Amino acid sequence: MDVGVSAAGLVKVDRHYSKSLYDLAGEAVDDALRDSGRNSIDYLVVSTVVSRALTPQLDIASYMASHLGLRRARVLSVEAGEASGLAALQAAFHLALGGNRVLVVGVDKLSDAPSHRVYRVLKHVYYRYSDGFHAIGHAAVAGLLARMYMERYGVSREVLAAWPVQMHMHAKSNPYAMLRFAVKPESVLKAMPVAEPLTLLDSFPLGDGAAALLVEPDGGMAGISAVESAVGPLSVAVADDPLRLEAVGEAWRRAAGDGAVVDVFEVHDSYTIFGLLILEELRLAERGKAAERVAEGDFTTGGSGPLVNPSGGLKARGHPVGATGVYMAAEVAMQLSGTFPGISVPEAKRGAAVSINGHGSSAYVALFTRRG
Amino acid sequence: MAGESVNVDQWRTRIYRYRLLGGRCRECGRAFYPPLPKCPYCSSEDVEEVRLPRQGKLVSYTILYSVEEGARRESPVIVGLVDLGVARVVSEIVDAEPGTLKSGMAVEAVFRRLYEEGDEGVIVYGVKFRPAPENTS
Ligand SMILES: [Zn+2]
Repeated sequence: MDVGVSAAGLVKVDRHYSKSLYDLAGEAVDDALRDSGRNSIDYLVVSTVVSRALTPQLDIASYMASHLGLRRARVLSVEAGEASGLAALQAAFHLALGGNRVLVVGVDKLSDAPSHRVYRVLKHVYYRYSDGFHAIGHAAVAGLLARMYMERYGVSREVLAAWPVQMHMHAKSNPYAMLRFAVKPESVLKAMPVAEPLTLLDSFPLGDGAAALLVEPDGGMAGISAVESAVGPLSVAVADDPLRLEAVGEAWRRAAGDGAVVDVFEVHDSYTIFGLLILEELRLAERGKAAERVAEGDFTTGGSGPLVNPSGGLKARGHPVGATGVYMAAEVAMQLSGTFPGISVPEAKRGAAVSINGHGSSAYVALFTRRG
Repeated sequence: MAGESVNVDQWRTRIYRYRLLGGRCRECGRAFYPPLPKCPYCSSEDVEEVRLPRQGKLVSYTILYSVEEGARRESPVIVGLVDLGVARVVSEIVDAEPGTLKSGMAVEAVFRRLYEEGDEGVIVYGVKFRPAPENTS
């Protein structure tokens, strides 16, 4: 059975104070379903993470179906922390392999509560019975991995800043991105420290967003060749090497084997260090060299490597947690159908989205192909 | 209601939080924290509970400024990855000026307040690490 994406819809990531979770989801779905009917949708798969904790609601997928006019669909809610969006796509992919027409909706609101409450929720991406005993927040693990990376490989803080600089540069041409302005390396270094050596400009903005994808047999916008996942260590403390994202490597092998050549990636960069470690785990850069290669322009337009995060990444498009993976998948599908309205690869044949939760407790990889 | 279940949770985990208990696998020989019923490395069920060493080395650390509710009086918080030789742990580092920390320095376990939980301000205790005296001699 051949399965693909047949439609995608996005809402600009922003602080949408006046809109509810359902309003935002509705906008993304309306955008995706402009040309197709709702009655024939067999399944609605919903991914939302932070909203569910800030404004508790159980059985959210059925209430979502009522709001979206999808009472005839069967519903399912998927949660995998920060990787929820691609986990929802994995469920949808398998349902579509069974012949179903599946609507995936990722939606989340992070601007409805003070940031310290949002960060308290986000702390739960880490295991509560070890690292979570401590005040590690959401950023501490990223901070200590960044220091370890700099010391092991002799990489300077200035070179690490190449990541956010490039993400902001890409986001400038993405109308769906939250932070559409350029930043300079020295502003990254001078920004408020979050988890030293990382600063506010190494991390994502707190915004609201929604993305929708229609996945079905023979979906014509882009083919889906695999959606795979793997479980990683429960803490960086039990990882053989904390600077390796084992689950990313394993999910990639399961999805792509060893041979896949990919023209465009959307990868999870909640913090600068995770974007770099994912590139290295995917073998797009040698260990310790990813930041240097980003600084040299290898992963942007005209570079020697694939295009990485033309959306601006979590860093600048934004990271509305439950929606993020669905944004990534939608952006890659748009790249392959030539409809992404920002920086793009002409005639791209293959694209991939790569998501992790926390330090890599899990990883999800979705592989897409160009139609025609 | 939520507070009550959180307190039971804290009571259940108190022993290994207080004593720095970990697990050791009789199959592959590796130790780990926290204790788990299956080995996180080889999935063997043949695991035993062991007391982990209370001295170790700081592998890496960060100074965390976005500190959550319940621990904000201590802000900023230093969080480290500590190598105990047989296993590693993520822990807060206390009694240290950020500027004096160095990767590789010796650290030792101390019993401290971890955080306050809920409206009643229940204080939860456990093990943290501090620079070992030999660093200053
Ligand atoms: Zn074992």
